[in-house]
Amino acid sequence: MDGYLGAGQRLIGGASRRALPWRASRFLYAHPRGRLALLLGPGVLWLLVFYLVALFLLLLTSLWQQDVFTAELVHRWTLSNYTKIFSGQDGLWLRVFGRTILLAAIVTVMDIALAFPLAWFMARVAPPRWRTLLFLAVVVPLWSSILVRIFAWRTILGSSGVLNSMLQEIGILSHPSSAFLYNEKAIAITWAYVWLPFMVLPIFTALEKIPDSYLEASRDLGAGSWTTFKRVIFPLAVPGVIAGSIFVFSLTMGDFVAPQLVGGGSQVLGGAIKDRFGVAADYPFGAALAMLTLLTLTVFLTITSRAGAKESL
Amino acid sequence: MRRLALLLATVAAIATGCGSSNDNGGGGGTNTASGPDLSKPGEGQLNVVAWEGYTDPSFVKPFEKQTGCKVNAVYAGSSDEMFTKFRSGGGGQYDLVTPSGDASLRLIRSGAVAPLDISKLENHNDLAPQLKSPSFNTVGGKHYGISFMWGANVLIYNKDKVKPAPDSWSVLYDPKYKGKITVPDNPIQIADVALQFGGAQDPYSIDQATLDKARAKLMQQRPLVRKYWVLATDFEQLFKSGDAVVGAGWPLMTQDLRKAGMNVGEVLPKEGVTGWSDSWMISNKAKHPICAYKWMNYVTSPKVQAQVADVTGYSPPNLKTCEVVGPQRCKDLHIRDSKYYDTIKYWKTPTSPTNYRQWTDTWAQVRG
Repeated sequence: MDGYLGAGQRLIGGASRRALPWRASRFLYAHPRGRLALLLGPGVLWLLVFYLVALFLLLLTSLWQQDVFTAELVHRWTLSNYTKIFSGQDGLWLRVFGRTILLAAIVTVMDIALAFPLAWFMARVAPPRWRTLLFLAVVVPLWSSILVRIFAWRTILGSSGVLNSMLQEIGILSHPSSAFLYNEKAIAITWAYVWLPFMVLPIFTALEKIPDSYLEASRDLGAGSWTTFKRVIFPLAVPGVIAGSIFVFSLTMGDFVAPQLVGGGSQVLGGAIKDRFGVAADYPFGAALAMLTLLTLTVFLTITSRAGAKESL
Repeated sequence: MRRLALLLATVAAIATGCGSSNDNGGGGGTNTASGPDLSKPGEGQLNVVAWEGYTDPSFVKPFEKQTGCKVNAVYAGSSDEMFTKFRSGGGGQYDLVTPSGDASLRLIRSGAVAPLDISKLENHNDLAPQLKSPSFNTVGGKHYGISFMWGANVLIYNKDKVKPAPDSWSVLYDPKYKGKITVPDNPIQIADVALQFGGAQDPYSIDQATLDKARAKLMQQRPLVRKYWVLATDFEQLFKSGDAVVGAGWPLMTQDLRKAGMNVGEVLPKEGVTGWSDSWMISNKAKHPICAYKWMNYVTSPKVQAQVADVTGYSPPNLKTCEVVGPQRCKDLHIRDSKYYDTIKYWKTPTSPTNYRQWTDTWAQVRG
């Protein structure tokens, strides 16, 4: 009797403990909108507060003025920060903008050229054990600080660096050349290196997905290696190439670390924005430059998403 | 769409509100400064933005042991960077800052720093007369800073590579050293050109024509420059790797490079020099005021002043430092020599005829 009662109480207690989650789950089942809100709410709220609101503040700042001496923002509307970009200082900022786009394009092309053969080897040639090793070799550098990886290039390219001593050793140079470091070439080489994994991985994914039967079919129909590459492999790899290009191009447009460490006098957009915010305390103009970067990337993303990159991202 | 507009309007209102709350202060006087009770123990921490060399372990460690205040320092490579870092995040992150004359008044006017209680600064009376209430840290009779080290921007060269020994700034424009020259990445560098080649009496108040001439001169120098340095350590790295053999820098770098075993020379070129005179200033939102005052008393004491001078090669303001370092070093550091002090054109913020924004814009054009 006691046992029976006890079990009954437990049963009732259990039911009441379950009541709330049970009711909640029933409510959510009946109300798809509530379900959606619960799933998306935290993420959307996060994006709204820390991303959209921040971006909007940036936009406002770019339309405000500033007291030059105290660096306090003056909340008076102006477009002067934008006219300065497009027509101020003998076209200085348009040149900086052009230089940055050109560098980003060059780095993207360099990375495609470097990553494609590597990704092909990893995806289709290497035996499985090699593939894992290569995969690690591509990814592991990402675990170290970007600063360290950029510093490495300084020791390679500098006057007493590895490259110079090697060229002197084999007699190509009689004295160390200063042409390798502290200029745009050094920036391009460094960026191409640090962003390479972001290009290799999406291309690898795209190439791995191509079924062997496609290649066999191509060969059966009499296509040579080149034709197979041009007509079958490359078109199927394009989404991967575009996805990688989005990563590399965007990262390049915004980076200021490499230009500061291995670059020369010439400014790039990322460095100029960082200097406006971190050194010159010229927030409105820095914000205007940041809006320009944002606009450029939006245009770039629109073009690439038309080319069908989304499914590979 | 209307809801979005409403949201944006709200954000704008919040932003405007935040902004205007920053407008207080501005050096406006409400308070007779009263410092903290120094007989109490410190708060355990001290956060500072300083020039490199000002928080060297050789004198920070004994201070930490003595007071229990752990010193957390970040460095700035230019007055602009120091100003911006100190005010970042609303200005409550740091307790102390060591601005030169071209940042100290900007900090006072923007309301970022609070007046000091001179009665709590035990070494103030021993400072050189011209550094007790200098115009770069004392406004309207209120002391917003206590003077610290001062010195000149010097020409530094690698004695093994640059012969004969230079005595003129023109070596920094000599094609012979193309790709081996380094100069600061700092708009205030325009004053050096105005002083050395434009003959400006006050290189910080120059007209547009002089500014244009300075720009032309700097553009001419640009292809010769290996790298515009940002931090003192950048400069030292360039010399150590052989990427630069001559450059404009601070005595700190000469000290460091010699310690590293390099054969470097330091000269005050004949055209004259710019320089800096620094102060310790306290944030008006300082979270560790007791530690801050203890630190200011510590670093302005004769013994520690001698140590700072050893690390940096800069001149200390406390006249009693001479009793610690002896007559010869006292003379070398020009501690009691107010005539020498007056020969240096100290950094200050240009306001007219050309203002500092015009200078930073000009510098951006030189960088290209």
